[in-house]
Amino acid sequence: MSRVRVPTPLRAYVAGQSEVEVSSASVAEALQELVSRYPALRPHLFGEADELRSYINLFVNDQDVRSLRGVQTPLTDGDRLMILPSIAGGAMSRGLRGVDHNALRTNQASIITLLLAAFVLDAPLLAAGVGAVMLLGTLAGKIGFLPVYWTVRRLRLGGPDILPDNPEPHRFSQGLGAVVLLGGAAAFAVGAPALSWGLAWLVIALASLNLFGGFCAGCAVYYWFNRLGLPGFSQASPPGAFPGRRPQPPVE
Amino acid sequence: MTLHISETHLRAIEAYAEAHYPEEGAGLILGDEAGERREAREILPLPNRREAGERGHRYEIDPLETLAAENQADAHGLKVIGVFHSHPDHPAAPSQTDLHFAVPWYSYLITSVRRGRARETRAWRLGPSEASMQEEPLEVRTVSEWLPGDSDTSVASGAQQEEG
Repeated sequence: MSRVRVPTPLRAYVAGQSEVEVSSASVAEALQELVSRYPALRPHLFGEADELRSYINLFVNDQDVRSLRGVQTPLTDGDRLMILPSIAGGAMSRGLRGVDHNALRTNQASIITLLLAAFVLDAPLLAAGVGAVMLLGTLAGKIGFLPVYWTVRRLRLGGPDILPDNPEPHRFSQGLGAVVLLGGAAAFAVGAPALSWGLAWLVIALASLNLFGGFCAGCAVYYWFNRLGLPGFSQASPPGAFPGRRPQPPVE
Repeated sequence: MTLHISETHLRAIEAYAEAHYPEEGAGLILGDEAGERREAREILPLPNRREAGERGHRYEIDPLETLAAENQADAHGLKVIGVFHSHPDHPAAPSQTDLHFAVPWYSYLITSVRRGRARETRAWRLGPSEASMQEEPLEVRTVSEWLPGDSDTSVASGAQQEEG
């Protein structure tokens, strides 16, 4: 007789026992003997095609059966077959990193507020300044209005909201906004104020869509460029989400 | 079901998580279960055997370590009741990867470590449909509540087994 050691998660299916005696001559036969005696155990050991489930590890007397003869490994009197679940996991999908969306929101709110003020006060230099801050932030790989976010954090007005995401599309999006605003400044300089304010309002609208609607248009453009294989756009949209949509927190 | 854990064990888990930042640290929890009460008795910090570039967002425990843990549980009259691991700069909530690898019945303790400091530890368990993980109530017993002679604190020195 051999013994099969059942891990705690599966003991409920073998009448609470930690070990079951079997008379089989191989690992495969022992598993079949086990599931024929305890049918409720079957779906936890075998998949639909009767293959051993991927998270099941088998050891005979402290040796992995993969280093022996797999499930054909023979069992002799006194052998101990251990069933062990794989223990694995991790913070998030491959390649995605933590992006603080409250930093992005602070950036968007700063951009919207200052551009509205620039429009109301008829201060095109202020709008150009916002574009310059966004451009400098993009070149430094950060949000332009990072000091505002530091203040928000220091005054405990809001904490970080870190979501699994790619930072590059957000950087690109900010850079795109900066180019539009600086284009607006150029338009003003050549005597086209209506075009200049139109471009500022475009940035206000897209930043608002991001802040209130959770959709980053610049990120969507980035992901489209990625799909077209444009060089420099190396990150693909996270699976399962519409490109540009704010990712969901990884909780069910 | 509520998972009960001593403050000492929880601190040990969080210290292990901090020591491995920015990588994920993981281990097993030995304990016992009676009715609706599940009690953590021993903490086994174990090496994360994922390759160096992946350890920031992945963990995996060598089945040989799980085997040793099962044997230790037997020797101490306990069971492997769950797994703990850290999420560097991510919430103390299960990811899709955690859900994918979740084993039914085990309690999964997740510690969120931000900028090297453990911020929060929460307990989760695979739901009945296995389509999601559900939060499990976590009761932390403070040292002052212990009775003299209560000897349920044991933290194995597995942390020292971690390679480079």
